[in-house]
Amino acid sequence: MEANPTPNETFQRFGVLHRILHIIIIFNFTLLAITGFALHFSEFGWVRFLVSVMGGAAAAGWLHRFCAVFLYMGVLIHLFWLFYYKFVLKQKLSGPDSMLPGKKDIKDLYQNLRYAFNKGTPPLFDRYSYLQKYDYWAEMLGMQSMAVTGLILWFPDFFAGMLPGYFINIAGYLHLYEAVLAVMYIGVVHMADTHLVPDIFPMEKSIFTGKIDKKRFMEDHPEEWKRKQMINN
Amino acid sequence: MQTGTIRKKHNKPTGWFCTLLTAGYIFLAPALLLVSLADAAPATDSTWFVEMNQYSGAAHGSLRCEDCHGPMIESESGIKKPHPDPDDDAFLKSQTKRIFDYQSCRKCHKTAYSRFLKGAHAKAADKEKTTGSVSLTGYAPVCGDCHSAHYSKSHLSRVQTGRIMTQTCGTCHPDQKTSYLSNYHGKAAVNLGHDKSAFCTDCHGAHTTFSLKDNEAALNACLRCHPDATPEFANIIIHDTKKNIALKNDAKKTGLKWVHGVRAVIIFFVVLVLVFFYSHTGLLMLRKLHEKLRRHK
Repeated sequence: MEANPTPNETFQRFGVLHRILHIIIIFNFTLLAITGFALHFSEFGWVRFLVSVMGGAAAAGWLHRFCAVFLYMGVLIHLFWLFYYKFVLKQKLSGPDSMLPGKKDIKDLYQNLRYAFNKGTPPLFDRYSYLQKYDYWAEMLGMQSMAVTGLILWFPDFFAGMLPGYFINIAGYLHLYEAVLAVMYIGVVHMADTHLVPDIFPMEKSIFTGKIDKKRFMEDHPEEWKRKQMINN
Repeated sequence: MQTGTIRKKHNKPTGWFCTLLTAGYIFLAPALLLVSLADAAPATDSTWFVEMNQYSGAAHGSLRCEDCHGPMIESESGIKKPHPDPDDDAFLKSQTKRIFDYQSCRKCHKTAYSRFLKGAHAKAADKEKTTGSVSLTGYAPVCGDCHSAHYSKSHLSRVQTGRIMTQTCGTCHPDQKTSYLSNYHGKAAVNLGHDKSAFCTDCHGAHTTFSLKDNEAALNACLRCHPDATPEFANIIIHDTKKNIALKNDAKKTGLKWVHGVRAVIIFFVVLVLVFFYSHTGLLMLRKLHEKLRRHK
């Protein structure tokens, strides 16, 4: 309602590489989930139809492996970027801007839970909130474990040469239940926390555009905003 | 203006298409009904009749009845079983019995017959004859228990045969059928029709039917598709169930213990994580919604 003469000021939050990597994750994660669960829930008729549209079980299996390799290349690019960031750009990987979990995250979690029960104020986040950090680590560590179990299932003859046979069964269950966890976490918690928050709804676009509004910046990342102001002044 | 738009709507090609589609369905419905009626069983209680429409389309459709059942004419010498008298009161009233004389199958299917004699089903049949006791899975099957002499079709694809086979084997081995269908082999083969995946007989043999409890026999089965398989590869559990665990070898027994233990831990962990984050997000969402509504913004 109030007249705002100044145009909406935006700030750069994500670089091009990270936006592209995020799109790579979305694309491959979705296809991996669809092709993977298509095998697990193949007793349903519509799933069989879906697989036949994809070109049969062999094609769906090929697509699953292709997406897995594609996604893991994204992981490797990210790791290379971390090295580049640290050793070529000589930037710090720790500190308030980093993804590393710290004491503040536990305090923030406690404060946020208190806030949920109307005791106190919401925590003031830095560049990444503890949930964003959790998203990142769940994805990064989860993909390592999915890669290991996936490779075991991909080359069972090779791995049965050095592991007991039942490890392949265990790898199968780990792969399945971690997929269930990943889909139910990303599909509900990650989606809700980014897009469904009343002030943000219907969609948080900063990971696609790379830009964040001044208002959102000040509300969602107040600590980072404060540091930015101190540097500028 | 108004009428113009209406006329335009009628000229849309999708309208014609939908009309044609509906007409097609109206014609198709009685046709499908007729087809299903034609395939239905004949209206008689007697089990002595052979559905000739199905028989002529089946694998043995080109055979004459006498080829298997013999001439059944009393005047011919050496006939054990003459044809029953049609004027008899009991004619067609008794129930047919499936005493399957598999010697008559042997005449044409020599290889299958000799393989059958080597296999576990024939051994079970012998044991049944000598001891008189039936095994856990029921009476040992002979040819006719798995194959229908009158109705089994030939020239089916690998997947079609495999799907029928899963049902056939599953009637006596239901737990094995369930565990096979929850394994990747069964899901890909039966559910998704992937013909490079293994069906029952690809591992256990079509007529020899081995249990594969012996690791070496199991490895030979694995090697047919996985040329680099090691002896440990044969310890991968395909029938992943604790039912009938006595039938498994020691390596599989310990394997199953670990697999199910780890599985329980994983499920517990997954549920724990999801419960925590769902309630965390849910509670915060309610709080934020509450704040927003109170601010009237």
